[in-house]
Amino acid sequence: MKTLSADVVVVGGGSTGVGVVRDVAMRGYSAILVDRADLAQGTTGRYHGLLHSGGRYVVSDPHSATECAEENAIISRINADAVELTGGYFVATQVDDPAWGDDWAKGATDTKVPFEEVSVADVLKAEPRLNPKISRAFAVQDGSVDGWQMVWGAANSAKQYGAQILTYHRVTGITRDGDRVSQVICTDDKTGEEVRISTNFVLNCAAAWGGGIAAMAGCPDVQVVPGAGIMIAMNHRLTNSVVNRLTYPADGDILVPVHTVCIIGTTDQKADDPDRLMIDWGEVQQMMDCGELLVPGFRSARAIHAWAGARPLVKDSRVGAGDTRHMSRGMSIIDHSDRDGLKGLLTIAGGKLTTYRLMAEKVVNAMCAQLNDPRPCRTATEQVPGSESGRNYVITHRLEEREHDRYDDQILCECELMSKGMFTRALADQPKGSFDDLRRQLRLGMGPCQGGFCSMRATGVALQSEHIDIERATGLMRLFLKNRWIGIWPILYGDQVRQTALDNWIFQGTLDVEHLPGPTHEEVV
Amino acid sequence: MTRVVVIGAGLAGLVASIRLADAGARVALLNKGTGGLQLGQGTVDVLGYAPERVQRPLDALAGFAQAHPGHPYGMLDAALVARSLEYLKELLGPGLLTGDPAVNLHLPTAVGSVRPTALVSPSMTAGSCVDGASFVIVGLRRIKDFYPELVAQNLNRTDLPGGGRLTARHVMIDIPARENEVDSSGLTYARALDDPGFRRRFAQGVAAVVGEGETVGLPAVLGLDDHGAWAEIAELIGAPVFEIPLPPPSVPGMRQNRALTARAKAAGVRVVPGSRVTGFRSSAGAVDSVQLATAGGDRDFKADAFLLATGGFESGALSADSYHNLHEAVFDLPLRRPEGHLVHGDYWGDPQPLFTAGVETDDTMLVRHPGGEPVYSNLYAAGGILAGATRWQEKSGEGIAVASAVRAADSILEAATTATTQGAAS
Ligand SMILES: Cc1cc2nc3c(=O)[nH]c(=O)nc-3n(C[C@H](O)[C@H](O)[C@H](O)COP(=O)(O)OP(=O)(O)OC[C@H]3O[C@@H](n4cnc5c(N)ncnc54)[C@H](O)[C@@H]3O)c2cc1C
Ligand SMILES: Cc1cc2nc3c(=O)[nH]c(=O)nc-3n(C[C@H](O)[C@H](O)[C@H](O)COP(=O)(O)OP(=O)(O)OC[C@H]3O[C@@H](n4cnc5c(N)ncnc54)[C@H](O)[C@@H]3O)c2cc1C
Repeated sequence: MKTLSADVVVVGGGSTGVGVVRDVAMRGYSAILVDRADLAQGTTGRYHGLLHSGGRYVVSDPHSATECAEENAIISRINADAVELTGGYFVATQVDDPAWGDDWAKGATDTKVPFEEVSVADVLKAEPRLNPKISRAFAVQDGSVDGWQMVWGAANSAKQYGAQILTYHRVTGITRDGDRVSQVICTDDKTGEEVRISTNFVLNCAAAWGGGIAAMAGCPDVQVVPGAGIMIAMNHRLTNSVVNRLTYPADGDILVPVHTVCIIGTTDQKADDPDRLMIDWGEVQQMMDCGELLVPGFRSARAIHAWAGARPLVKDSRVGAGDTRHMSRGMSIIDHSDRDGLKGLLTIAGGKLTTYRLMAEKVVNAMCAQLNDPRPCRTATEQVPGSESGRNYVITHRLEEREHDRYDDQILCECELMSKGMFTRALADQPKGSFDDLRRQLRLGMGPCQGGFCSMRATGVALQSEHIDIERATGLMRLFLKNRWIGIWPILYGDQVRQTALDNWIFQGTLDVEHLPGPTHEEVV
Repeated sequence: MTRVVVIGAGLAGLVASIRLADAGARVALLNKGTGGLQLGQGTVDVLGYAPERVQRPLDALAGFAQAHPGHPYGMLDAALVARSLEYLKELLGPGLLTGDPAVNLHLPTAVGSVRPTALVSPSMTAGSCVDGASFVIVGLRRIKDFYPELVAQNLNRTDLPGGGRLTARHVMIDIPARENEVDSSGLTYARALDDPGFRRRFAQGVAAVVGEGETVGLPAVLGLDDHGAWAEIAELIGAPVFEIPLPPPSVPGMRQNRALTARAKAAGVRVVPGSRVTGFRSSAGAVDSVQLATAGGDRDFKADAFLLATGGFESGALSADSYHNLHEAVFDLPLRRPEGHLVHGDYWGDPQPLFTAGVETDDTMLVRHPGGEPVYSNLYAAGGILAGATRWQEKSGEGIAVASAVRAADSILEAATTATTQGAAS
């Protein structure tokens, strides 16, 4: 058993938790963040990639629209290296009522979401693949954001302020001392060791899993209902700007260019278990039809990967009246001192990745209020490590880097221009990481071939590092192939079938991976 | 003289073309890309797993076919397979293909698994994984598709198919094939090793790391056009050497591809590369011609018989659209479609049903409606387009291709003879 202590323990390493731990650390508290897995692999690794301009909510949720507009400007600056300023459009297709655009424009004006009406001809010039039948268009400041880059940036900032980040630490219990929280109990899933953290305050940022965490502290019935949505990545950018349908928010109405791909989404289906989200063929068909409406011919473009994420929807019958002051639409803060008579525990859930910083500010303010220790929030003005230059991401960055090092370094992943050096450095930083953990930072295996060529190379290079023996290296490869397939089979059609056949020829045909000697211990996380 | 159009120049198309031309047919071989041979390893699989490891593939075929109704081996019996493989051995000669199709060899892969196969390039036989073998696996730093530690360490922990263990150690050496290039392809090395000067330097570099009594495993890049390069390297090193196949493009596959293509041309096959078949004409239940998209307009190829040897999903011959309708690319043929869901989520589980979809034939390789009558009286199919097999998993691709090609060619020749005799009689 290991014991640690900190002023504040943050549970959950998604965008919310990482934003919170950064804010807590910047306000001068000692802090530890724990996640049961890697950073940003919960909902934060399964979202749509949109840095909202606010345009989507100007009619349905004006308050959120304003928050998004304000945070969009802040995040573009403090997390500059994670954000691409793609710009975006709201377009009325032939099935949308162009007159609704007037309601939309009024909403945008009222909520202070910057916009400009643009001519259809200009939009089609900028985005020639768009449906030529669109009747009306507005330009907005939508961007795309790499959630992994953003989260790691915030985590590195928190570390600079002294916070500890413990990944693969699963919370299994929270102990209380009378009416106060006293300890968070975790299991280190990489070693099996128990870790006890003494603390005064727990900030529960476990989102869709938050009800379970609250229950561990003896606060029952926090109901977080997972609202599942699917997304599909297409193998290249069909548009270079974000494209939204000019309608009341609905399913499949946004196309977001992210890195080398573009992503269509999403849906909203009540799910039972956030760890078992299914991607239904019917939903895939629905996304294809929606894609056709935005970009004719969408169905013959190549889908490479699909995933599903769970919106944490808080349904709490026991929210105390006093809580509303901390609430904004779509985001809930539950103060368990009011609700359950337990001091030192706040649960936060909901919101958006775009507003991660603001959510953190609000929940840390609430904590300071409970502690009667007001300290100002500084997260909006300071850039995270890596974003100091203020330079935003552009899609050609990697190409530029490779042009500099192509005589000295090999390219392990041609689809995503990932060099061997990038891989070995990331592995040194996260020696216990799985290839999926490294992938989320490097985009290893995320391009059209979906790991067909780079998986074996990654395995060989990993084996050359001193921390990884042959059993583990082989296990990492097996796990990577298995996990990539989770996102391939639901959308296996068209050109990706051909790619899969080629990949199968490589792995089973040439390499006979399925008959490698079995591991004595299978990697599962 | 009967006229035949063969579509697709993979292993099946090449073998059938040669056999037809040698028998006096006028053959045009139409091909869009470079053919599937360089996807493969330069080995000829018959049956590797059923699903347990197969030692004697010819003996296993009948039982396997019985257990897998609708599998191509249900039409291609062991005697035919044996005959066809002997034919392929003759075509390629002992410099490019050797082995006994009755017995599988078990050879190291580039991840260090031990893979069963029937016939192999002679440059690979020394890699046979038998009890007590002692290997040194040598990597070339500039080739990123081969990690000698991965091969050696996995081999070391493998219980060998014939029982026992082998010992393998690994060494990485650095001999640039091109100065100032850190990221060299296998093909770059293979071309460089066609040059005797570079070959000597290369062999010296390797020899320096080989120990007493060791057999040397190298990535399969030992010469492209010079089929004796590997043997000379072994001689210079003074130790037995074997090649380990890399992910595509495969150099041993290219060697075979080039040799078979040259052999086809020598037999009088008219090889028409780089063009896609875009359409066809038919009348009275027979295919009359196919059209080829070429610069300057479509060209029409008429023939008495047509052989579809375009491969499977990997070559684009078969496809599934976004509604999961299945298509055959050239003739839009009716396909045998597996029942139920086409794909499932268990990567390490049962074969994906989708990939068993394909064209159905009768046992003369004449394409038919699934379970029914021939689609055309003169359209045959061979190789990866055939329904019923998961070739990469079974390790059965080349066996099916060669046997079905030989059978299809013989059926076409028989039909031509019958037609001539009937013509003479009437
Ligand atoms: C389909 C979909 C699309 C979306 N698209 C967008 C978009 O385009 N733009 C946008 O701004 N927002 C979007 N969102 C919203 C956004 O993704 C979420 O608001 C945000 O990612 C939530 O982050 P989080 O940190 O609260 O949750 P999560 O990322 O889910 O973090 C919770 C963490 O808690 C951890 N945890 C759980 N149990 C334990 C335990 N016992 N011990 C330790 N740790 C534990 C989990 O591992 C997880 O990492 C989308 C959401 C969905 C569902
Ligand atoms: C903005 C953005 C852009 C992306 N772009 C690309 C791209 O260009 N190319 C690409 O290939 N992918 C892309 N993805 C998808 C990405 O590769 C993953 O599929 C996705 O992030 C899912 O997360 P993961 O990697 O943690 O899960 P996976 O690799 O799918 O699985 C890892 C683990 O999570 C568990 N798990 C899997 N699915 C679920 C589920 N539905 N619910 C709960 N647990 C589950 C598994 O059991 C497994 O242990 C993108 C994702 C985002 C958010």
